[in-house]
Amino acid sequence: MKIKNILILFALGLLFACEPKIDTFTTTSGEADFSKYVSLGNSLTSGYADGDLYKSGQENSYPAILAGQFEAAGGGEFKQPLMFDEYGFGRRFLLDASIPGPVLAGVAPDERNFQSIAGDGPFNNMGVPGAKSFHLGIAGYGTLNPYFGRFASAATTSVLADAIAQNPTFFSLWIGNNDVLAYALTGASSDSITPMPYFAGSIGAMLQKLTENGAKGIIANIPNITSIPYFTFMNTRLPYNGLVLTEQAQVDALNAGYAPLNAFIKSIGSTDTLAFALGQNGFVIAENDVLWGMRQMKSGELFLLTLPTDSIKNYGYGSQTPIPDKYILSTGEINEIKTATTAFNTVIKNYAQQFDIAFVDMNAKLSEIEQGGVVYDGVPFTTAFITGNSFSLDGVHMTGKGNALAANYFIDAINAKYGSVIKHVSPRLYPGIYYYQ
Amino acid sequence: MKKSTLLLLVLCLSATSVFSGGYQVRLQGHRQTGMGLVGVSLFGDASTIFYNPGAMSKTNNKFSFLVGGSGIFNNTVFSLENSTYQAKTDNPMGTPVFLYAAGKLGEKWSLGLGVYTPYGSSAKWGDDWAGKNLIQDISMKVFFIQPTVGYKFSDKLSIGAGFVYATGDVELNKAVPYSSPTVQGQANLQGKTTNYGFNAGILYTPNEDWSVGLSYRSEVTMALSDGDATFTVPSSLAGALSKDKFDADLPLPANLDFGFAYRSSEKFLFSVEFNYVLWETYDTLKFTFKGNPALNSSNPREYTNRLITRIGGEYIVNDLITVRAGAYYDPSPTNKNFFNPETPSLDTYGMSFGLSINPTKKFAIDLSYLHLETQETTKSYTPEYFTGNYKTRTMIPGIGLSYKF
Repeated sequence: MKIKNILILFALGLLFACEPKIDTFTTTSGEADFSKYVSLGNSLTSGYADGDLYKSGQENSYPAILAGQFEAAGGGEFKQPLMFDEYGFGRRFLLDASIPGPVLAGVAPDERNFQSIAGDGPFNNMGVPGAKSFHLGIAGYGTLNPYFGRFASAATTSVLADAIAQNPTFFSLWIGNNDVLAYALTGASSDSITPMPYFAGSIGAMLQKLTENGAKGIIANIPNITSIPYFTFMNTRLPYNGLVLTEQAQVDALNAGYAPLNAFIKSIGSTDTLAFALGQNGFVIAENDVLWGMRQMKSGELFLLTLPTDSIKNYGYGSQTPIPDKYILSTGEINEIKTATTAFNTVIKNYAQQFDIAFVDMNAKLSEIEQGGVVYDGVPFTTAFITGNSFSLDGVHMTGKGNALAANYFIDAINAKYGSVIKHVSPRLYPGIYYYQ
Repeated sequence: MKKSTLLLLVLCLSATSVFSGGYQVRLQGHRQTGMGLVGVSLFGDASTIFYNPGAMSKTNNKFSFLVGGSGIFNNTVFSLENSTYQAKTDNPMGTPVFLYAAGKLGEKWSLGLGVYTPYGSSAKWGDDWAGKNLIQDISMKVFFIQPTVGYKFSDKLSIGAGFVYATGDVELNKAVPYSSPTVQGQANLQGKTTNYGFNAGILYTPNEDWSVGLSYRSEVTMALSDGDATFTVPSSLAGALSKDKFDADLPLPANLDFGFAYRSSEKFLFSVEFNYVLWETYDTLKFTFKGNPALNSSNPREYTNRLITRIGGEYIVNDLITVRAGAYYDPSPTNKNFFNPETPSLDTYGMSFGLSINPTKKFAIDLSYLHLETQETTKSYTPEYFTGNYKTRTMIPGIGLSYKF
C-alpha cells in the first residue's frame, strides 16, 4: 500500500507542469490606444536598408519594433508586407571586409518578391520606399511604385486610403525625406525639391483624415540629409581639393590645357578661372550654372557615395575631364536643401500642434548623433559610414541598431504626449552591418 | 576596417563571457538525494567516499558497492526586460552518475574507490535567442576518480581522506556579430583537462543516537590549455578570423560540510546539514588566445561564498521498505550584475523523496526524486546590458543499486 502511494507521488512529481512560467513585462497605454497601429512613411518606415527592402530589414524596422513594445500595452497584431528572402529586388549591398566597402550581394532574389501579396493584407506597415509627401495620397500610386504595387489593395488605391481603411487607433507618419533627398541623391542634377504648397497641403490632408475618427498618432520631422554618410563619407576619403599634383610638368600641362578656357572666362568678365599649382588643387567639376559648364570644387562641397573613384584615379576625372554634376552637391545646392528642410520641418511641427499629436524631432536627434555621437546601452552611434552603427551600407537608411534607436526616440515622444509607459528596447539586440556571404 | 579592428571587436564580444561557472551536482547517492542531499553525518555504505570519507570505516559491512545515476530535466525561462520577448532553454537531459566500492581491511582500516560527477552543466538557449552573444549553448562534464582510505580510532571516531583525479571537458557556442544573410557568426570553444585535488573528513558518533560529521573537499582548477577555438564567419572575413588555441581556468570550488544526524528510534533518523561552498574563487573568467592576443578577454563573474542549509529524514517501514524525504535552500553564488545565462543559477528551493527496496539483506534498489524551484529573479549581465527575469524548474528522478555484505 505504502509503496503504491509513494509511486503515485513520484508520478505526480513528474507530471507537475514541466515548464516554469514567467509573466511578461506589462506597460500602460495612457491616453493612446495601440490596438490598431498603422505606420505611414517612406523607405525609412518600410525597413529598407543596404540598398534594398528585404525580410529581416523589415522585421527590424522601427514601426515593427514599436509594435513589439506596444504589445505589452494593448497593442495588436502588426502585419508587414514582408519580402520572401534577404535579397528584395536584387540590389542589396553587403560588406566586403577586404575593401572594406559595400558590394552587391549578387544573389538572385525570390521571384515572389516581385508578385503581389495584396491578398495577405491589409498591412499595418504602409511604409513605401521612394514615396514623397504628396505620393501617399495619389490614387493608383501602386502602378507608379512597385514597392506599393506589391501590396496595394487595388490598382486604383492610394497609400493613405489603404491605411484609413484599416481604421487605425494609432498612427505614425514620417514622410518628407524624399521631398528633399530624391533631389540631392542625384547630386541635384535631376528631380526637384517638392514645392511647399504640395508638401504642406498633402501632409495637412493626411493628418486630417488620420485623426478624423479620434485616432492618436505621432509625426516625425526630416533629418538634415547632408549629415548622412551618403553625402559625407566620400569626402573623408577624397577632399574637395584632393587633386594632388607632385610634378611641375603636370601643373604646366593642366594650366596650358585650360588656358584657352580661362581666356574665354576672362573675356566675358568673370574671375572664376581654373588654376593649378603644386600640391592640393580643387577638382574640376561640371557646373550647369556657368555658361562654360565647369569650375573647380570649393571647400564645403560634397561628393556623393556613388562617386566613381576609379575614374578619378585612372581616367583623368577631376583634372582633364570635369567630374559630372550628379556626383556632387554644390554649396548652392546644399543651401537649397537645408532651406527646404527647415521650412518643411516648421510645417511638420505646426501640424503636430494643430492636430494635437506627438512630435519627434528626428532632425535634432540626428544632429546630436553627428556632433559627438550618442551611446545607448553601450552601443556608440555616430554618422560614420560602416563603423557608425547608425547607417546601413547604402549610407542613407538605418541599420537594425539604428532603427532600435529611432524607435526609442518615438517611444519617448509618445510617452511624453500621451502619458503612456512604453519601454525602450536595447539596440544591442538588433543587427548592424552584414558581411558578404 | 583593418584586421586588427575586427579582432578588437571580437575581443569586445568575447569580453561578454565564455563558459560556465560550473554547476555543482551533489547527486552522488540516492539515500542522500532522497533526504534533501544531507550526507556528511550519514554512514553505512560506500557513498561516504563522496559525502564524508571520514565515515567510510564506520560500518559493520566488509564490503559495499553502489552504482546509480539521475536524469536532470531542467528548463529555464527568460523574459527580456521591457519587452514581451521570452526565451526558454531546450536543455538536454543531464546525467550525473556514480559508482563506489569500499571494503574493510581488518577492524581499523578501510579502502575505497569512487567515480562520480560532482560538477557539470548544460544549457541550450538556441542559436537565435536574444542573449546569443552571451551564450547559445554550453555543455560541461567533470568526472572525479577518487581512491580513498579510512581509519577508525574507535566506534566513536573515524577519519578518512581521498585523492581526487579530476578530468573534464567543456564545449560552448556563442554568436559573434559578424553575419551575412546566410551565415551567422559563431565561436565554438572546446577544451579538455585534468587536475588533482583531495577530500577529507571526520565522523564522531558519541552514542547510538547521534552522529556529527565534518568534511572538506578541495578546490580543483580545471585549467584548459590549448583549447580549440573555431570561428564560423562569412567568407569575406574567414581570413581575419579562423581557428585558434586558447587557455582558460575554470575553478571548481571547495566545499566545507558540517552536519549531524539523530536517530530517535530504530526506525526514524533525522539530519541537518550545512554546506559552505567557496565560490568566491570564481571571480573572473579569463581567456588567453595563442594566435591572436587581440582576442584575449577578461569576463567578470564575481561569485560569492554561499551556505546551503538542508534537512532530511529517513523512516524504515520494514525490512523491505525504507522511505525518505528532505528539503533545502541553495542560494545562488552568482552576482546579480554579472549574471550570465551560460549558468542560469538562481536561489533554489529543493524538495526530495526517496525510497529503498531491500529484497534481501545484501541487495537494495534505491530510488529518489528531487524537485527544484527557483524564485523569479531579475538579473543583468551589465557588460552587455543584458537584463531580464529568469526562472527555473528542475526535476531529477534517480535510480541506483546497492550491494553490501
